[in-house]
Amino acid sequence: MKNTVLISGSGGQGVVSAGIILAESVAESASGTCLPEYGPEQRGGAAKCSVVISDGEIISPLPGKYMNFIAMNEQSHKKYIKQIKDGGLRVFNSNRITGIPADDKTILVPADDIAAEAGNPKTANIAMLGAFIKATGIVSEDNFVKTLKKKFAGKSAEILDMNIFAFKKGLNL
Amino acid sequence: MSVFMKGNEAIAEAAVRAGCRFFAGYPITPQNEIPEYLSWRLPEAGGTFIQGESEVASINMVYGAAAMGVRAMTSSSGPGISLKSEGISYMSSTKLPALIVNISRGGPGLGSIQPAQSDYLQATKALGHGGFRMMAFAPASVQEAADLAYISFDYAERDRNPVLLIADGCLGAIMEKIELPPMKETDEEATKKWSLSRQPGEKRAARALTPIYPELLLENENKMRGVLTKQWEANDVMVEEFLLEDAEYVAVAYGIAARVVKEAVLALRAEGHKIGAIRPITLFPFPKNSLRNLDYGRVKGIIDIEMALPAQMRDDIELEVRGRAPVHEYGRSGGILLDDEGVYTAVRKIIENSQLSTLN
Amino acid sequence: MDKTYKRPDAIMPIPSGFCPGCLHATAIKLIAEVVGELGQNDNALHVLPVGCSALNLLYWKGDMIGAAHGRAPAVATGIKRCRPERLVFAYQGDGDLAAIGLAEIIAAAARGEKFTVIFANNSTYGMTGGQMAPTTLIGQKSTTSVYGRDVADTGYPMKMCELISTLEAPVYVARFALNTPKGINSAKKGIKKAFELQLAGAGFTFVELLTNCPTNWRLSPLGSLDYMESNTVPYFKPGVYKEAV
Repeated sequence: MKNTVLISGSGGQGVVSAGIILAESVAESASGTCLPEYGPEQRGGAAKCSVVISDGEIISPLPGKYMNFIAMNEQSHKKYIKQIKDGGLRVFNSNRITGIPADDKTILVPADDIAAEAGNPKTANIAMLGAFIKATGIVSEDNFVKTLKKKFAGKSAEILDMNIFAFKKGLNL
Repeated sequence: MSVFMKGNEAIAEAAVRAGCRFFAGYPITPQNEIPEYLSWRLPEAGGTFIQGESEVASINMVYGAAAMGVRAMTSSSGPGISLKSEGISYMSSTKLPALIVNISRGGPGLGSIQPAQSDYLQATKALGHGGFRMMAFAPASVQEAADLAYISFDYAERDRNPVLLIADGCLGAIMEKIELPPMKETDEEATKKWSLSRQPGEKRAARALTPIYPELLLENENKMRGVLTKQWEANDVMVEEFLLEDAEYVAVAYGIAARVVKEAVLALRAEGHKIGAIRPITLFPFPKNSLRNLDYGRVKGIIDIEMALPAQMRDDIELEVRGRAPVHEYGRSGGILLDDEGVYTAVRKIIENSQLSTLN
Repeated sequence: MDKTYKRPDAIMPIPSGFCPGCLHATAIKLIAEVVGELGQNDNALHVLPVGCSALNLLYWKGDMIGAAHGRAPAVATGIKRCRPERLVFAYQGDGDLAAIGLAEIIAAAARGEKFTVIFANNSTYGMTGGQMAPTTLIGQKSTTSVYGRDVADTGYPMKMCELISTLEAPVYVARFALNTPKGINSAKKGIKKAFELQLAGAGFTFVELLTNCPTNWRLSPLGSLDYMESNTVPYFKPGVYKEAV
């Protein structure tokens, strides 16, 4: 079973980090690839990261159109929505993407609010992943937290805790 | 050891594990993670990292290091490889081994910083002036990039000739789980016979490594280059043949493009189309036999798929097909990636048109 | 009777192929003498440039490597970083060093690479037939400045010692003229100083030697020395430009 995810946002929102953590946590038990799309700008703009996940070998990591969409701001939502297949899951940051009602395929995550509550605005991406993982079951909670711990090994325990807090908030919306 | 790694970093780490102890390079997207990684990793492993003042200087630093018998490498992207051409030619002339990595991007000129396969001709025909050839490895995954970077030094030392590893920016940036090869001890035995290295107090006759030769000697050296090329063709071709047994259509693609092509082959097979694929892993020596020996009583068409327009591998393909089947091409260029949808649709159309023209 | 003067061991016992009166031969003899006096015949590693000075390939007896035009400092960088115990020196002409290799020499000097560059400046491209060099003097004729170098068109001769001595890293930058016995004696001391500093691991050392090109200057050997005295030496002033304590 192959699954594809496009994560988008503005540069600095942690789009690439989210993609890496998601793919790496999946790779604990299955196959995952993560491809950041780079542009000439170092900050701002519309950043994109694609993740391909499979329980078998990943032959092509370049689907063209993606099944699932995680969008963290309005600009990138508009830019990349055309690359999303009909009927896929959409997880939107409701603090920045407004006017879209939630339904069984659309999950609204107040990611900036959660990040503020976590005490670190940089954890909004992890809150988004929490909601996505809850809806898809694509990776176990344990493997995800294990990857978070690996990723933040060099940082303070406080930063790791903030991220775990944001993840759980997203998971239990 | 299993790790989740970016292509560029995997190449860098594999090189260190292969015993590479010298890197000189110049920043250029999309290969920057290679020098960034090696800037701390090489000193940690007892090696040297230098950010040169230019691509030109960097390849010449590699030339100096290689002359001392040290495993050395540089990396760049198309525009920088052009600048390194001078030094690469000198290295081949002086018979110095090294790994040259091209994480290629859109061209010509400054082109674009996005991934492309627009350096095939440069990689396989002329990496510099004077008519030398080099083995060119084209990995399709992060694992293969690490594995080929790892063994490339052995080939370079065996042949006393630089080796090229060519991957596009997508493979440089993508992250996948890989097994890293083991750490090799650095070994100067292989280079001791010709290098300028000399242990303190070691007595040996003086040596000169020179890129200039008297005419007859140069002619002889060039004859040996021809012999080397034949040996590569006989012994060192690497190729993946995918579902060719009953194939009526054969797609040819290398690097990341080949993975997209394989996905399309599977999708088309599921619809009943008899299609297979050939993936050159060594772009040079080109896997001539894979194409030459196809059953052209059965094969109705060859489809060259590249992230390059016009297609660059096509000439090599046609030389082996020899008019026995039509050669079609599909590709994207300028830094636009191939993707599953695009390749599937294009190949399906080529097959359908080909069947129509047969009916007519 | 003691032997007081002999051919240095670091050069081959064959006639030099340099033109009659060419000071390259003198410069190379000085380097070979210093290398021998410092006991470095085996340890020295000579990086050859492109141009007449590359003829050393035929005369030098120790380890050497040929570099592409202008790239000798980059090649020497790779060598010295890998084998810091070797006495590494590049010998470069003025077209090689001050034109096509300007980036490499300045960057190597700025990084403070711990090798020595010996710069033979004869104001011309000798091997290719006497074209104008970055160091060709104002008004001096060459095959590409047939009416004499015109500053309005080609600017001024480049003063490499002055340029390099503005950098922080170099530890020794000096210029000597080889047109007189006195200059030759000073030059030898300068080369020795540079090599000793290198062997002590001190930093980048640069020795410019003013030389001639009787063939391309269209002068007799003696005439070329006189030309140097009245034209080259007044423009490229000999002296120690930098010496770190």
